[in-house]
Amino acid sequence: MTVVPNALCFGAEFPSAGAACHVEVSSRGLTLHVEGCSPETDGITVPFSSLTVSVGGLDHDQLVLRWGKEPSTLTLYVKDSVLIRKFRETAPPDLTHHFDAAADTVRQARAHRRRTWGIVVGSLGTLALFLWLGSDWLVDLSVSRIPIEWEQKLGESAYRDFLAQQDVMKEGPAVAAVNDMTQRLTSRVTSNPYTFEVTVVKSDSVNAFALPGGYIVVFSGLMKKAESGEEVAGVLSHEVNHVLLRHGLGRIVKTLGLAAVVTILVGDPQGLAGLMKQVGLELVTLKFGRAQETEADLTGLQLLQRAKIDPAGMIRFFERLSERDQGQTEWLSTHPMSATRAERLKVELASLPKTTLEPFPFDWKKIQESLSGEPMAAP
Amino acid sequence: MKSEILYPGAFPMVRVELAAREHIKAESGAMVSASPTIDIESKMEGGFLGALSRKLLTGEKFFFQTLRANRGAGEVLLAPTVPGEIVVLELDGVNEYLVQKDGFLAGAETVKIESQMQSFSRGLLGGEGFFILKISGTGPLILNSFGAIHKVELKPEQEYIVDNSHLVAWSSTTSYNIERAASGWVASFTSGEGFVCRFRGPGVVYIQSRNPGSFGAWIRQFIPVSE
Repeated sequence: MTVVPNALCFGAEFPSAGAACHVEVSSRGLTLHVEGCSPETDGITVPFSSLTVSVGGLDHDQLVLRWGKEPSTLTLYVKDSVLIRKFRETAPPDLTHHFDAAADTVRQARAHRRRTWGIVVGSLGTLALFLWLGSDWLVDLSVSRIPIEWEQKLGESAYRDFLAQQDVMKEGPAVAAVNDMTQRLTSRVTSNPYTFEVTVVKSDSVNAFALPGGYIVVFSGLMKKAESGEEVAGVLSHEVNHVLLRHGLGRIVKTLGLAAVVTILVGDPQGLAGLMKQVGLELVTLKFGRAQETEADLTGLQLLQRAKIDPAGMIRFFERLSERDQGQTEWLSTHPMSATRAERLKVELASLPKTTLEPFPFDWKKIQESLSGEPMAAP
Repeated sequence: MKSEILYPGAFPMVRVELAAREHIKAESGAMVSASPTIDIESKMEGGFLGALSRKLLTGEKFFFQTLRANRGAGEVLLAPTVPGEIVVLELDGVNEYLVQKDGFLAGAETVKIESQMQSFSRGLLGGEGFFILKISGTGPLILNSFGAIHKVELKPEQEYIVDNSHLVAWSSTTSYNIERAASGWVASFTSGEGFVCRFRGPGVVYIQSRNPGSFGAWIRQFIPVSE
């Protein structure tokens, strides 16, 4: 055979992988040339009337022509587009009708495949978009599923670990004052599931932070810097609201990512502790997001108002710290102060109804003097 | 180009004799030794995008090596990475094979290699991934398997069932569907087979006598876990 093969022929006398053959289409039917086959088969012409037409192959993209009776049935697999076109043009309508039906099947199979891939890619895209846009919602959903007791355990262990390495103030006017402020603030919280615990740590750091579960640490440096009890109460109110709004947990879940969300949603919050260990997440150095800070600011301001503590103290303290320290103060490094943030607080304060304020009973100067036995803040 | 399989069995090599100016393409790293007349070139089959798609899609190597008898006739010895048999198929321009990604060892310069996307269910469950190699053209095509290679010959409409991890190559005239090994989901997995491929002839299916994934899992238990 000198001509180029354009089809594969299957039959009893051919190899199972098929024999390469050359097929010609004419008005009389198909003429078949197969290399190395018996003279009875080579050069035979098969009339259209004895052919059956279907499609086959892995992708249903091959024209299958069959003729003859068992066991001498011969089957042709044609992929060559020129030959397929020629067959379509030449074959009688009843065969091409079969052929068109077969071609339709192929088109449907392809469309089905494209559709399936489209759906798969689309679903993955939608899921990615959902995770991208809905991440806050997922985080909130996960956080809401963490039991308070577990949150307290988590916070308490971090709290005890931290305090073990610090010089803790156990008693004195400063401790009493801070406890008094916390009491006034938390008593005004409706449906408070937490028992707040505030500790004053002897340190020059102008800092304070809250841990999940109601554990708050105030550094003596911050109390020395504050010019009134109301200013310290402002910071405390802000931190109390971080706890109430469960910002710490939200941050943990966000940092640990999707793994944490799944762990919690399938009802295994204990697994989160293991996850956190893996990531080596330090609760104490956990930074809150900008939106969380704003939220804690505003709710903190409202809480001060409800507790009849002058909310202006909070704004004053924030502003003064940011002016003087220019990022040197630890509290500001985790609570970046900006003009808009202070402005927003002022707007919020203006919108609050006026109430009669109740000043703290203690003398702030005396409390600060009681602290002066401790290391002094840098001038 | 003439080829001969040396040491048939678990650790075979294939010797390819090239006439002057002839060349073959082989899987990157497949060459064992060659005559000094043979030059080794690295070539991205199908151009950069073709090579990239093959690498990304099928996990097959980015570069094929081209072994070219630039300075006269010579021979090349080629061997696959894994222990297993080698088979040489002759492509005649009409027959076409679909090859799972680790099955290709070498082919004549006239052999054409493309990545082909499978249907979603086949890609997900078939065990060869979403993309496989479609090999057509003319000349010898050299495939390798993990373990012994077994040829299954299927007559038109004849059906045969193969565990999906044991596939090496199959002719494009065959079609297959993925189905559960047993009638129930649980039984399918507890039987250790999971999904199987139901092939329908005509054509040939080359299968390998060992399952690379299972072998990997078996060997993993002997690897010490570092703390």
